[in-house]
Amino acid sequence: MRFGSALFGAAAVLAAAIASPAPSVAEVIRLGADVDAGTLDPRVQRDTTAYRVNNLLYDGLVQLDADLKPVPSLAVGWENPEPTVWIFRLRDGVKFHDGSDFSAEDVVYTFETILDPELKARFRSLYTPIAKIEAVDRLTVRIELSEPYAPLLSYMDLGIVPKAYVEGGGDLSNKPIGTGPMKLASWARGSKIVLEPFADYWGGMPKADGFEFVVVADNTSRAQAFEAGDLDIIQSPLSPQDIQRLGAMDDIGKSIMGGVGITYLNFNTAAEPLDDPAMRRALAMLVDQDTITNAIYEGVDQVATSILLPSSWAYTDTIKQPGFDPAGAKAALADLGWTDSDGDGVLDKDGKPLTIEISTHSEDPNRIQAVEFIQATFKQNGIDATVSIADWPAFFPSVQGGKYQIALLGWLNIVDPDRLMFAQFGTGAGQNYGKYSNPRVDTLLQTGRSSLDRAKRIEAYREAATIITEEVPYYVISYQGYQVFYGKDVALEPDVRGMMRSAVGF
Amino acid sequence: MSPPVYPAGSLVAKPRLRSNTMLAYTARRLALFVPMIAGIVIVTFGIMLLLPGDPAIVLLGEDASPEALVEIRTALGLDRPWYVRLAAYFAGLIQGDMGRSIFQNQPVADAIGARVGATLELALLALAIAIVLGITLGVAAALWRGTLVDTAAMLFAQLGVSMPVFWLGILMMLLFAVKLGWLPSIGRGEPLVEALGAAATGRFGPLLGAISHLAMPALTLGLNSAAVISRLVRSTMLETLSQDFIRTAHAKGLQVTRVILVHGLRNALLPIVSVIGLRFGALLGGAVLTENIFGWPGLGQLAVAAISQRDIPLVQGIVLSFALMFATVNLIVDLLYTVIDPRIRLE
Repeated sequence: MRFGSALFGAAAVLAAAIASPAPSVAEVIRLGADVDAGTLDPRVQRDTTAYRVNNLLYDGLVQLDADLKPVPSLAVGWENPEPTVWIFRLRDGVKFHDGSDFSAEDVVYTFETILDPELKARFRSLYTPIAKIEAVDRLTVRIELSEPYAPLLSYMDLGIVPKAYVEGGGDLSNKPIGTGPMKLASWARGSKIVLEPFADYWGGMPKADGFEFVVVADNTSRAQAFEAGDLDIIQSPLSPQDIQRLGAMDDIGKSIMGGVGITYLNFNTAAEPLDDPAMRRALAMLVDQDTITNAIYEGVDQVATSILLPSSWAYTDTIKQPGFDPAGAKAALADLGWTDSDGDGVLDKDGKPLTIEISTHSEDPNRIQAVEFIQATFKQNGIDATVSIADWPAFFPSVQGGKYQIALLGWLNIVDPDRLMFAQFGTGAGQNYGKYSNPRVDTLLQTGRSSLDRAKRIEAYREAATIITEEVPYYVISYQGYQVFYGKDVALEPDVRGMMRSAVGF
Repeated sequence: MSPPVYPAGSLVAKPRLRSNTMLAYTARRLALFVPMIAGIVIVTFGIMLLLPGDPAIVLLGEDASPEALVEIRTALGLDRPWYVRLAAYFAGLIQGDMGRSIFQNQPVADAIGARVGATLELALLALAIAIVLGITLGVAAALWRGTLVDTAAMLFAQLGVSMPVFWLGILMMLLFAVKLGWLPSIGRGEPLVEALGAAATGRFGPLLGAISHLAMPALTLGLNSAAVISRLVRSTMLETLSQDFIRTAHAKGLQVTRVILVHGLRNALLPIVSVIGLRFGALLGGAVLTENIFGWPGLGQLAVAAISQRDIPLVQGIVLSFALMFATVNLIVDLLYTVIDPRIRLE
């Protein structure tokens, strides 16, 4: 009898589970994540999951709004009495998740530690212009820069960590404590990060009842889990094929917009025959951006026109890269002396065939396809093109060491033009893998970085972008799209970086 | 490796003596684990050494400056010669310390400990599915050889062997989670052991949750092995059923089921058992793919991440755990021989 009733009970539960696809009163919002967060310490975060979770756990001095404009958060206001001095006035009465009070000491501690090489912070270089940071009083912080640094405010969204907790041996990586609207409830490594509302949040009680970041590594199964109703929100990175399918569904919320990333070809300007800008320009004319973006990426990205992003205040559509033009490329290559003199179908000069190697990393199948497609176009046009593909840890050192000709790569988180240009195109700069150098560009990038006048910055970046379009150290293939799909009952205003603040109400 | 087979008439050791031999045998086999572990550590270490790229590059990403890379390599001890690093790893291992994961910010033992249960649960259930399904189909195909049953069973086996796990997994999810909505698409319920405990006290919810989450991943993972086993069972059963003692058993007027199960299957089982032990290795490998598809929080997901990040201590630890699980299962299989076939003695 007991067994019988238990069996009946089980059957009833099963029946209930099948019968009612529960009219989900989006209590806890379940998000799909492609990787688990490595660490929840915002100073050393690396992956997108950590980035998105930490955005809810911590507050920065500023927060970037939907247009990437810095707005007050832990700082209520700031001034800039001299080009190299910034003074931030802090919010009073803010509490950390452990109940301790937030003060200027925590801000100073956060920035001093991220600047300490010992911490091994990946984004340390964004803050290196900070020469000195001090607490003037409990609610005032003064930052002194070694040189004027206009993008500073855009990077001031770094989560502030509690000094006393960390110095007292608190394990911020695994047991994060911030001032944000959500606090960590539990973290099953590799599986699920669960957040719950922080009742003492300075902005008031958060709207969402909680978040679950569920790790599903496979892109397609993450999309299917969303379709099956086991996830409420999924977002980039997603497979173009899944985006197409989900995009056609109409009982869900969706947003497909230009993001803050690019996919581009990096030309090694120190490697023959790419040391000639005319050569780079000719090769760029053989890159069929339209097919790559619309066939391989199935239209989820946008064909790029220049190094300036449409999401940026510096964007203009008047600066244009060469564009796909095989005839023009052929003429340009002939002008450079490359013709098929021996009739073997491969262009040659002084008896040497024109060989080019294009490389990328194996983690992203679409990038492999793009590289193979470019190889095919190159071959059709008489260039003996080869492809080299390795996984990221094997591929990247060859790029960094300058041992490549053309590499297909991407940049993310371009919240300010400086982020995509200063370290990339400055003579001898840290991420200038292709050894590009142009004194005029150096001057313009320095102006763009140090001028606090938005109009002057725009002018500088546009001129630099024009030169880059002509000299082609980079050829930007596409502006990466950002996609988010969410259940109709989730109150979400997606922002281009995939942050979930709007679902919390702050 | 095949144990000596004594003629049926030979003296069988007394039970007490036999359990002593078994104990000694087990002890000897366990002692062999030590050189095995050493070998595995050295091979894994060698492969990670030969693989281009290192964790410093992954840690710093695109923003890495050459100076920062040097700093991190020093901090991680990657600048030391390989033999020093290997010796240090062994020194730690002897003290039970598997090192610290570079990316997980926790000891390797903790990272593995938190996930090994999920993988074992998945692999063992898949193994159970493979055994039950494989033997049933194999026996059926052998009994009704040449009929529609045989054709259907072998068609299943052909499909099972040919369908890759990642493809089958996605299709199952599409059918059972997206289209029919019967099963949850991702994640794990409560651990099966705990869920069974709850069921024993009359709470069936957790068990239902655990099984509904397990069903698709375990089936995806187990089908391939079920197919392999069913083919083997079919052929060994056919061979056994054609032997004289089966005819004799029938002639004695024994029940048909008894002839098939006791006289037939038991004698056909020996080669099958050894294959089952080996299949467990394939299941652990398949678990890596299955876990990635179904968001199953086990060692497989961790392994993929660890290798792509060149998290050397973690890779070492995971490979070691897989090897230990595999070796243990095969030890159990070898011990099972004596149970199934009393003629076999372990030396």
